[in-house]
Amino acid sequence: MASFLALMLEYWPQVLSGLGNTLLLAAVISVTGLAGGVVVFYLAISGGPLRRRLTEGYISFFIGTPLIVLLFLMYYGLPQWGLKLTPFTVAVIGFTLNVAAYNARYLMTAFRGLDPDELQAARAQGFSDLQVFQLVILPQVMRLSVPALTNQVILNLKDSSIAFLIQYAEFFAQMQDLAIRSFRFLDAYLVAGAVYLALVSVVVVAARWLERRYVLPGVRRAR
Amino acid sequence: MTLLSVQDLKLEYDGRIILDGVSFDLAQGELKVIMGPSGSGKSTLLRCLNRLATPTGGRVVFEGRDVLGPGVDERALRQRIGFVFQNFALYRHLTALQNVTLALRHLRRMPAAEADERALRQLARMDMQAHAHKYPAQLSGGQKQRVAIARALAMDPAVLFFDEPTSALDPLMSREVVNILHQLRDERVSMLCVTHDLYLARAAGGRVMFLDEGRIHAEGEVDELFGPNADPRVRAFFHQELRQAQTAQPIDAAQPMDQAQPAGPSGPAGLAER
Repeated sequence: MASFLALMLEYWPQVLSGLGNTLLLAAVISVTGLAGGVVVFYLAISGGPLRRRLTEGYISFFIGTPLIVLLFLMYYGLPQWGLKLTPFTVAVIGFTLNVAAYNARYLMTAFRGLDPDELQAARAQGFSDLQVFQLVILPQVMRLSVPALTNQVILNLKDSSIAFLIQYAEFFAQMQDLAIRSFRFLDAYLVAGAVYLALVSVVVVAARWLERRYVLPGVRRAR
Repeated sequence: MTLLSVQDLKLEYDGRIILDGVSFDLAQGELKVIMGPSGSGKSTLLRCLNRLATPTGGRVVFEGRDVLGPGVDERALRQRIGFVFQNFALYRHLTALQNVTLALRHLRRMPAAEADERALRQLARMDMQAHAHKYPAQLSGGQKQRVAIARALAMDPAVLFFDEPTSALDPLMSREVVNILHQLRDERVSMLCVTHDLYLARAAGGRVMFLDEGRIHAEGEVDELFGPNADPRVRAFFHQELRQAQTAQPIDAAQPMDQAQPAGPSGPAGLAER
C-alpha cells in the first residue's frame, strides 16, 4: 500500500486532474439536474392533462432507463449519424436528463404534502400561477425535499465514476490507469473507495447542515 | 350604497346543481352572514364571487362592474376581496409578518420597509404584533385566524369574505372571532361571512341569509330568522344543530372506549405483542 501511495504522489498531477474532473462533473450535474428537476416539476403541476402525461412519461422513461445506455447511445451511437460530442458534454447531458427526472419525482412527492388551501389562498390573494409556484410552492417543496435532493448530490458524486466508461478522464479513470501501470489493483481500488467516501462525507456534513437550516417550521425531522 | 350585487347566480357541476339562483346585495360597510348546513353551496358561493369557481349563470356586480363577464382582470378583482379561509391557510414557510407582507411586496411592489410597517400596523389592529416573527406552526388556531385576517386587511380590500371562520376553533376562540367581526363592523369594513355555526350566525349581529340546496330560503335580522315565525327549514336546521351540540360530547367521550373493544381475536393479541 505504501508503495502505491508513493506512486500516486509521483503521478499527483494526473490524480489531481482526475479528482478535479470528478468534482467538476458532479458539481455541474448537481446544478443542472436540480434546475432541470424544478422545470420538469413546474411543467408537471401546471398546465393540462396532456402536459402532465408528457412530463410523467419523461420522468418514468429516464428513471426506468439505465444511465449507461443513454451515455453509450450518445457517445458511441450518435457519431454514426455524424454527431460527435466530447465525453464531458455527453456526461453532462446524460446525467442532467437522468438526475432531473429523479429530482422532479422528489419534488412532486413533497408537493403532495402541501396544503391545497394554502395554494388556493395564494390565488385568492391575486397571485398569478407562476407567482404561486415561486413564492409558495417552490420554497416549501425545496425545503421538504432537502434530504432527498442532497442524497441525489451524493449519488451524483459517486455515479460520476461511470463517465469513465465514455473516456471521461475523471478520478476513477486515473486510478484505473495507475492500477494498470503498477499492477496494484487491490491498492488502487481501496484508495479510490476511500477517496469517494471522504468526498461523500463532506457532502453529508453539508447536507445535515442544510437540513437543520432549512427545515420547514412545524415539520418534524425524521431522526 | 351597494357594494356587491348577486343576481340569480347558478352553478352546475357534473350534472349536480350547486347554486340554484342565488340573489342578494351587500351594502358598503355591511356585515352579512350566509348560514346553512354543510353541502348547501355556501363556500362555493364565495368562490364564485372572486372567480375561484366559475358560475354557469347569473350576474355579479362588484364596485359597479360585472365581474363574470369576459375581459375582467381576475387577479385585480381578487386583490379587492380579502378572503379568510376556514383553516386559515397561512403560508407555513413564512412568519406571521411575512405572511402579511407577501402580497404587498409582490403584488403591490411595495419596498420592504414600507410593507413591513404596513403589515405591523395590521397585525397590531388584530392584536398580533407581539407574534409577528413567529411561524404559523408556533401559533394557536385563534392567533392564526388573526394573522389571516391581518393578511387580508393589509391589501385594503373593499370587502372581506370569511369562509367558516369558526369551524376550526373551539368555542372560546369562536367568541374571539365574533369580537373581531364586531370590531371590524364598527370600523365599517364590509364583510360577507359564510358559516354553519348557529352561534356565530346569531352573535355576529348582521343580516342573516339561510342557504340550503343552493337556494336562499330565508333572509332577515337575527331575531326574525330565529324567532317564533322562523322558516320551517331554518327551524329544522336549528334543531338538528342543537341536537348535535347536545349529543356531541357523550359520543366523543365514548369513542375511545369503543375503539378499545377487541375487533377480533387477533386484535388485542397483536397489540400485546408490541
